[in-house]
Amino acid sequence: MHLHRLEKIWLKFGISMLAVFLIVLGIMAFSMGMKPPSEHHHTVDPTKVAEMAPFDNPGLNQIGKNHYEAVMTAYAFGFEPAEPMQVPVGSKVDFIVTTSDVVHGFAIVGTNVNMMIVPGEISHISHTFDKPGEYLILCNEYCGTGHEYMATTIVVQ
Amino acid sequence: MSKPDENKEEPALKGTFASVMLLGAFIVVTWIGVFALFMARN
Repeated sequence: MHLHRLEKIWLKFGISMLAVFLIVLGIMAFSMGMKPPSEHHHTVDPTKVAEMAPFDNPGLNQIGKNHYEAVMTAYAFGFEPAEPMQVPVGSKVDFIVTTSDVVHGFAIVGTNVNMMIVPGEISHISHTFDKPGEYLILCNEYCGTGHEYMATTIVVQ
Repeated sequence: MSKPDENKEEPALKGTFASVMLLGAFIVVTWIGVFALFMARN
């Protein structure tokens, strides 16, 4: 097969670009533990979320020095716990979130925290809060008529 | 006897090359931008 000289150049360029993107993705996956939030395949019966541990007692638990676990439930239309959670600056928070009804979103504005909350699945994500402030947590997956009221906050001080 | 290919003139691909490289540059720049944003927010 005959290829034009310029064609060879742009094919090499395209293939090396793909290789670079995939290598970066691979390095991030293994060195930084990047994975989809529902990768753990933990399942829960969405109709019994309120009775099952740990979702029978949603809230913030300290699990180490500057390390917290936030157990949360998303429902139409809000989050449990509804009152703002408070953590000190520099804290790492492991969010463990599920839904008791339909598909919801879980995004913290200004951070990389952004995941889908799917019925029957428990989604996990961690974030270290290095800057003080009030962070808005909201649902970004249209879930019904009250979707826009579905928000809570986490206060970092 | 030579192959028919060798007698043909090379197609002019300079313009195509330039547009492919511009598109490639656009993809690289946007990818780096998104990646930098991701790292800054991490």
